[in-house]
Amino acid sequence: MKKYSYIGTAQNRIDAAGKVTGETKFLADLPVREAVFAAPVYASVPYGRVLSVDLTKARKYTGYLDFISAEDIPGVNEVGVILQDQPLFARPVVRYVGDTIGLIIADTATAALNCARQVKIDCEPYRPVFTIEDSKQMTEGFLHDSNLACEHRVEKGDIARGFELADHIIEASFSTPAQEHYYLEPQGCIAVPEPGGKISIIASLQCPFYVQKAVGRVLGIPYAHVRVEQAPTGGAFGGKEDVPSEVCARAAVAARKIGKPVQLIYTRNDDIQLTSKRHPFTMQYKVGVTKAGKLVAAQILLEQNSGAYATLSSVVSYRASVQAMGPYVVPNVSILSRSYYTNLPPNGAFRGFGSPQATFGHERMMDIIARRLQMDPVELRLKNIIRENEETVTGQKISHGAGAAETLKRARDAAGWNSSGTSRLSSDRYVTALGVATCHYGNCLGAAGWSLDGSAVHLSLLRDGSITVAFGLVEMGQGALTAVAQMTAEALAVDIARITVLPTSTDQVPDSGPSVASRNIVMTGQAILNAAQKLRPILRTAAARLLDCEESEVSFAGDRASNTLTGAHIGFTELADFLYLNNYPMSTTGWWHVPSLKFDAAKGAGEAYFTYSYATHVAKVRVDKLTGLVKVEKFWAAHDVGRAVNPAGIEGQVEGGVTQGIGWALTEQLVFDEGRVISPNLSTYLLPTAADSAEVDTAILEFPEPEGPWGARGIGEPAIIPVAAAIANAVSRAVGKQFYQLPLTPESVLSALSSISG
Amino acid sequence: MLSVSNTDYFDLELTVNGTPVRRRIPTHLRLLDFLREELGLTGTKEVCGEGECGACTVLLDGLTVDACLIFAVETHGMEITTIEGLSRNGNLTPLQQAFIDHHSVQCGFCIPGMILSGEQMLRDHEQLTREEIRQDLSGNICRCTGYQKIVDAIESVSRDRR
Repeated sequence: MKKYSYIGTAQNRIDAAGKVTGETKFLADLPVREAVFAAPVYASVPYGRVLSVDLTKARKYTGYLDFISAEDIPGVNEVGVILQDQPLFARPVVRYVGDTIGLIIADTATAALNCARQVKIDCEPYRPVFTIEDSKQMTEGFLHDSNLACEHRVEKGDIARGFELADHIIEASFSTPAQEHYYLEPQGCIAVPEPGGKISIIASLQCPFYVQKAVGRVLGIPYAHVRVEQAPTGGAFGGKEDVPSEVCARAAVAARKIGKPVQLIYTRNDDIQLTSKRHPFTMQYKVGVTKAGKLVAAQILLEQNSGAYATLSSVVSYRASVQAMGPYVVPNVSILSRSYYTNLPPNGAFRGFGSPQATFGHERMMDIIARRLQMDPVELRLKNIIRENEETVTGQKISHGAGAAETLKRARDAAGWNSSGTSRLSSDRYVTALGVATCHYGNCLGAAGWSLDGSAVHLSLLRDGSITVAFGLVEMGQGALTAVAQMTAEALAVDIARITVLPTSTDQVPDSGPSVASRNIVMTGQAILNAAQKLRPILRTAAARLLDCEESEVSFAGDRASNTLTGAHIGFTELADFLYLNNYPMSTTGWWHVPSLKFDAAKGAGEAYFTYSYATHVAKVRVDKLTGLVKVEKFWAAHDVGRAVNPAGIEGQVEGGVTQGIGWALTEQLVFDEGRVISPNLSTYLLPTAADSAEVDTAILEFPEPEGPWGARGIGEPAIIPVAAAIANAVSRAVGKQFYQLPLTPESVLSALSSISG
Repeated sequence: MLSVSNTDYFDLELTVNGTPVRRRIPTHLRLLDFLREELGLTGTKEVCGEGECGACTVLLDGLTVDACLIFAVETHGMEITTIEGLSRNGNLTPLQQAFIDHHSVQCGFCIPGMILSGEQMLRDHEQLTREEIRQDLSGNICRCTGYQKIVDAIESVSRDRR
């Protein structure tokens, strides 16, 4: 394997020092001159028609300044990221508790919140629906044109013929719940009016170009008049993909009207009531398998609770549909995926984006099939796992780096997998077991989002040899800044100490699409390589002049340019100064777009994503049969990442993903009462603590991706995708009962233990 | 934050990060708001505001407290250390350095509270096992790291000083 200077070497984070001293300024820490403060006024009924908004009491409150609503919008009252179904300020129809009607503006944040509580909204209530089933059965009074937000199909082979070939046909239904992101820093922004009708936004966000577009449309001004800068962001996990577009556009309307900077930061309770969650899924699987354990047919129905607006449902549904049978070869397939509107907060992007749900379906299914065949679950998976030159369920031939089987073997061996599956501890009260789950993850936006799938960087050499890199995606905790610095240093063969990665801002680089879909390393890495490719001939020409040799004799390595014949060399600092003094171009923009994808959306056939990451997790659980409590004792995670850029960062992603998955599997429960969240903070919505999470043993496998920078693929989302399935499989093996839904609370475990059927 | 129309004020005297401070403050002001708004010490973060997450952890006379749960007036005459008070003249504490070296930081929002909890843990215990660290740290929520590398950092400082 080729040896690199920075790629593959654990690198300390370049943003860590400011974070361990408290010096890093997050949004709420920024001083703003002359600012006024906003608080949302929102529907308190899940579905209805606003008859009147009474501001009498709010106006009497000390500090009240203004109320901003739909009438104040100069442009369009529309903020839906894909479908145009979501108003910025709802009026007259409100579709969930939290649907925002307006903003109170006051001279302090506290006054704004207090005024907002005094606003009286009179509504004519409509009959709401909260579940997928009720949404489907609605016959009138739909939330939108119909209650079906979107649907996707995947059809391959001949499903009827496939079931004829099967020795066993196994059916099961599953359901998975919502999950709250609970990024530690809530949604927030500051909107600053600028001269000439322009506006600047600084915000906690993932997608600055989404915000630019939303603000431009809402204000009716050119995108070029909207500057969006990302503040250091205290976690996102998908929750700051599209939601900041609403938050920022609302503050922008207020800033435009009032002529002062407007700060809007959600309280925790409002954040949980108003913003998106992971989609709840119900899933029906019918799978045909031969005696020898070969999958021959799969018929799958996936249904999602979209909540009040579509937001990203259509791409969540797309991803879930094409990944619904996991990284397995199945010749005959019929998959249908549908999203239904309900009167709950909109469900949207959350790390994994439909994959953790679908993986719960296919991986629980694989264990149920293995049990029926009396076959070891790992063996069953290895018999069906996709390998090079085999086809996915969409008929996409995997030509490179199908490391799925290797992740299975590595996790199995590391965990000391035993076919019998369980061991009883000293008493009958506790039993431990291992559970396995495998997944794949299509990198970047895929065929459904191909047009947005290009990203840029801008590299500038300064006269003293220091280098700035602007990129169009963001750091949100995952380690992007450090990886960008590593990749730039590698591409230019310079010391990493020269590199400064700039805060992301829309005026630095072309529209780079969203920071989602685990696409940062791939997109930004390729854009860096593209920029370096443009700079290299310039550096080479200058170096040849300085070294008095032919350009072909110049090589770059170790922070200097050398004459390969004589060994004479010059340092990069000297070279940069020479470039400046001799009028050479010293900056360039790099760009990369994912390769074209042939995909037939009607049949769900073709190249769904340009490449896939693979992972296998093994969970070791201990079940307390007296209390029903499940304790995750240990996790083994094997990930094929193509090429590791920062191995320490990958471990961090995996450890964090496993813990977030443990929460979804065991303790996190969003409870609604008539559309109102009644678990709106940590005393009722239980996140895993250090005592609840498990030690994770991470194995990094590298089967390079030819289209990835240095062979790299994405890792952020694969880290969480198999977690809940592995835990549920382990618990099922431990107690000898099958589990079909999450979370695996003590109540659900005890209930299964007392039931008769297996 | 409470809203009180007839605000009572109090002349608060205390020591913050080694410096004596005197301020006239409303009696209903939370310690968290006093530190952030009055003194500009924004390293102390608010996450849940109900004492569950530990992001607003500060040391009060050497003991960890959630600054969202107590009123500033309750700290009269006492000594407070915030994250800004740990490193002096640019020198990080061994634990701060360990958080960098062990890759314990991701988004960073929980980190000031984590470090202050870790500092107290190290002060209270000669030796710490990973399990003890996990139990002691369970009042501080992190959503990014899975805690493993935070445990690594605290364990390494505990081990190195033996």
